[in-house]
Amino acid sequence: MDIDDILRDVDPTFHTIPQEKRDLQELTRTWIAERSAPELLPWPANGLFERINSNIKRQIEKVEEMTGDMDPKTNFALIVIQTELERYRYLVRSYLRARIAKIDKHTLHYLSTDELRARLSEMELAYATRHQALLHNHYLSSFLSSFPPNLQNLNDTSVGLNMIDTPDLESAVFIRLLKNAVVRGRGVDADDVFSARESDIVILRWADAKPLVAAGSAELV
Amino acid sequence: MALPLPPGLTHAEVAFLAEMELVTVVPRQRLESIELLGGKTPPLRPPHRTDLPLWLALLLKKQRRANIAPPPWLHPSSLSEIIKRETKENPTTFSEPPPPPARADPSRPGIASRGRDHDNDDDDGDVILSAPFRPSCTADAPAGYLPYHWLEVAESLLAHAGDDVASLGASAGEVRGLLRDLVEVRAAKMRSSTSQLEGFGGGLMSLRGVGAMELAESRGFVLGVVDGVRKTGASTEAARREEEEERGQDDDEDGESDEEMGI
Repeated sequence: MDIDDILRDVDPTFHTIPQEKRDLQELTRTWIAERSAPELLPWPANGLFERINSNIKRQIEKVEEMTGDMDPKTNFALIVIQTELERYRYLVRSYLRARIAKIDKHTLHYLSTDELRARLSEMELAYATRHQALLHNHYLSSFLSSFPPNLQNLNDTSVGLNMIDTPDLESAVFIRLLKNAVVRGRGVDADDVFSARESDIVILRWADAKPLVAAGSAELV
Repeated sequence: MALPLPPGLTHAEVAFLAEMELVTVVPRQRLESIELLGGKTPPLRPPHRTDLPLWLALLLKKQRRANIAPPPWLHPSSLSEIIKRETKENPTTFSEPPPPPARADPSRPGIASRGRDHDNDDDDGDVILSAPFRPSCTADAPAGYLPYHWLEVAESLLAHAGDDVASLGASAGEVRGLLRDLVEVRAAKMRSSTSQLEGFGGGLMSLRGVGAMELAESRGFVLGVVDGVRKTGASTEAARREEEEERGQDDDEDGESDEEMGI
């Protein structure tokens, strides 16, 4: 510890949050959002998961290195490291699984436009495309091929009715305000606007909450 | 391999989150800093107090390596004060959440500000911490405010560090009794808020001060009712919207200037 560290400790204006904590906060928030939102949210573009994955990999290597050491002192540190590693991996796993569940449910919808495809990560896109191709081939070989050719499509929109199932963007969600902001909500009898304060918890439709969440003024809870 | 759970966090997931809350421990043994994925842990030097995540604090507690200093809001006097506020002063709303951590204002030395507004976004790019990463369950947290994960943290402290809670001056049983009362009072409020849901015409409902577990408890019901009201009222709403659109553009412009006033 040198003089800078000491100064940093006592200086209240120096409030930088360490990168690791920042990542954990962001991972937790992304996970809660993905678990709560009715639709698939964009894959974080800021390299969060690349960073997390390489950190996890490094930590696993460290665990392997430490397992040989039977000194009781490092042994306890090992328990702590492994516990934390499992907790961290649970978050990542649950996040990815929640996304796969959404992709499985509305595969064609997320593949339908470029804008929606951009929400998927590279791996997810490969998975969704392949999954859909397998499914379509299976349908074709089992029953679709005996239909007239003009009825064989799975994404027909010509008759005015869309065959592609979409998530319900109007479902209600809970959000917590991170900053003071104006919240606007559409209702059955009337539309409502009020200026919410930081840490207010509000129930509203996802479509109304989305801009606030995207702007970072609110988070899903 | 896809997750078979409905949208919204379950009880188990909420409890998992609560274990990330920082609590204050009083170490009984030295422990060097450990490099974790969530950052380095501070080195433990008895008898210096240190803030650690709850899961780690419980691990240390079980191994008798540390005691946990319960947060001030868990003090019986603080709990009874909150109960009084919840029943007498504000019988319909939840009590206030803890104020955001004070932040020093670099432009005005010596003056700390709480919270942020839209107009001072100069520190953009920095993530805003929220529960469970705010230090709302440490020994420095303010008394008289229930943090977001109050019930989960209180329950696990009572279950695994009952002797430390008892050091507050009341037996763990007494604290447990007060918590039970608080749960009852607040559950009644949650239930009565559903009558507000019946006429959920406005599209917004605020539940300021509600806790994570309480939300998880009634999430399915509340969201179900809100969605149900929306679906049954879908045609009324569409008709109303059409009508409003017909009323012309003037209203729209008025609406926009109102919004600006709101900010």
